[in-house]
Amino acid sequence: MSALGILSNANLNGGQKLAVKYFSVAVALFGAQVLFGLLAGIQYLNPDFLFGILDFSVNRMLHINAMVVWLLFGFIGSVYWLLEDESGVPVVGLWLGNLIFWIFTLAVVVVVLVYLLIQVGPGELKSIWLINEGREYIEAPRWADIGIVVCVLAFFYNVAATFAKGRFTGVGGVLVLDLIALAGLYLAGMWYTPNISMDQHWWWWVIHLWVEATWEVLVGCLMAYGLIKTMGVRRKIVETWLYIEVALMFGSGILGLGHHYFWIGTPEYWFTIGGFFSALEPIPLVAMVVHAVFDAGHHKLKSTNNPALAWIIAQAFGNFFGAGVWGFMHTLPQINLYTHGTQWTASHGHLAFFGAYATMVIAFLYIAIQRWRGGVYMSGNLVGAWKWKWAIFLLHLGMITMVMGLLIAGYEQSQIERAIGGSDWVAYFTAQAHRWFVQGMFWRQVGGWLFAAGFVLLAWDLMTIGKRETRPALQHPAAETGA
Amino acid sequence: MIEPVALANFFTVFFSAAMVIMTGALYALLFAFSRVRGAPRLMPLAYGAYLGLCVSVLTLAQAANLFNNTFWTAIVGLMLVGYLVAPHAIWHLCVGTHAEAPPAGEPPSAKIFQQP
Repeated sequence: MSALGILSNANLNGGQKLAVKYFSVAVALFGAQVLFGLLAGIQYLNPDFLFGILDFSVNRMLHINAMVVWLLFGFIGSVYWLLEDESGVPVVGLWLGNLIFWIFTLAVVVVVLVYLLIQVGPGELKSIWLINEGREYIEAPRWADIGIVVCVLAFFYNVAATFAKGRFTGVGGVLVLDLIALAGLYLAGMWYTPNISMDQHWWWWVIHLWVEATWEVLVGCLMAYGLIKTMGVRRKIVETWLYIEVALMFGSGILGLGHHYFWIGTPEYWFTIGGFFSALEPIPLVAMVVHAVFDAGHHKLKSTNNPALAWIIAQAFGNFFGAGVWGFMHTLPQINLYTHGTQWTASHGHLAFFGAYATMVIAFLYIAIQRWRGGVYMSGNLVGAWKWKWAIFLLHLGMITMVMGLLIAGYEQSQIERAIGGSDWVAYFTAQAHRWFVQGMFWRQVGGWLFAAGFVLLAWDLMTIGKRETRPALQHPAAETGA
Repeated sequence: MIEPVALANFFTVFFSAAMVIMTGALYALLFAFSRVRGAPRLMPLAYGAYLGLCVSVLTLAQAANLFNNTFWTAIVGLMLVGYLVAPHAIWHLCVGTHAEAPPAGEPPSAKIFQQP
């Protein structure tokens, strides 16, 4: 262990050394997501901006793809971070993990360069394999799709073999099963069918079951580990709740994707299934509030790492408002008919992804940085604490401003374009030219700049937090040993 | 079976749906606080919030034309019952999962783990 406050790999085990590589790329990709989001936002206000050089379609694609990939890098890094702690043995096949990291990173760079250099071209089979698969949100070309599955399988091998060799904890068991789904469900978005309804059906499996369900369980595992580390919560308690979450996911989450099948040409019974689960969606949220209050009273919220705990709390609220309130406002088919695919969806998507996932990865970045600096003090009266506090404030202020701007724009679209105009081509442009839409987009852009400022501060804080601290953090014995 | 919302009811649907979640959360929050703090006087407020939840659900159901169909009417009933019992059920789970004493050698959870 090196001196306190010094960033040194000697403070980390093998899995954690690999994890910080993933975290570094994740932060860079987070920056790319913010950058391309800002450019796309400017193009809403000034459609001529970068026209023919970097078109809106490319900016939007890069904005969303960067989000998917930085979160994936963040999750993979987080799992490597906890792997040796949880299993009690060194990562099995770490060399493979390192090799896959470089291949994965190189592949992401190549895909992004191809997106930027070949923005238009013929839509033929060669394009699908080498340039762009064309499916919204998962545009990566086929070779990269196969690469992602291979990388996730190698990652699965590292995780499963390590737990098999060492201690198979409850967190480990759920994680291993979840990684099988993570590799398997991505395959659903890889085959081609000429029937657009069938194509959309399987595409939703990737978007809903891959991004929402398997990621949600993964975040549950990370949250369990995070609570043990930052609050010293007993392992038995968090693992019991992890099992409850998985049971809820299997019980409701899988059929809950019915609300995505409303308007893609699937049989009418999906209205019944989707409507049923949509209506009952708030029950787990209500349950979550009770549990949070119970735990707050039980554990007194004492923390070893204030920034990490603040981001974990932000995750609970972000998930509640982003997925819960913003989702339920327009999930019933009677109203979803008008809102689906408008800026309503973008408003919900922004808050839900940031609230449920980005917050959790950022919490892990702070957990990692504490150990990377030799277990430095990161609680009350931390030197330079203003940076993490302003970063979390600006990121949230920016996100809320964006979400409200998009909400107003989406509300206007649902009325002018959908309900009054009947969703035709003219109605689409009439809605886009309406002052509510334009003003909503203006405020979205203001929110984007605030968010970007928060990101810069976050990146600066991650590079400097704990640097001038000389006090060590005391750790809960159970958290240290993983008992 | 799906009767789309009338244009005039858009805001009512959005607002009442948001209020379903907000009053649901308030009900759960007050319910849990009442139990955690041992303050039974908070419980009527919790059920007051649940009453607000019922009003929100019924307003949403009216505006979204849910009462024009048996299936959706049943869903409304299920929502009201489900939201009412969820905090009770989850409270029992919380008590059950936290009930056992920590294993030997492991300190209780409510400790200060950081330097002053």
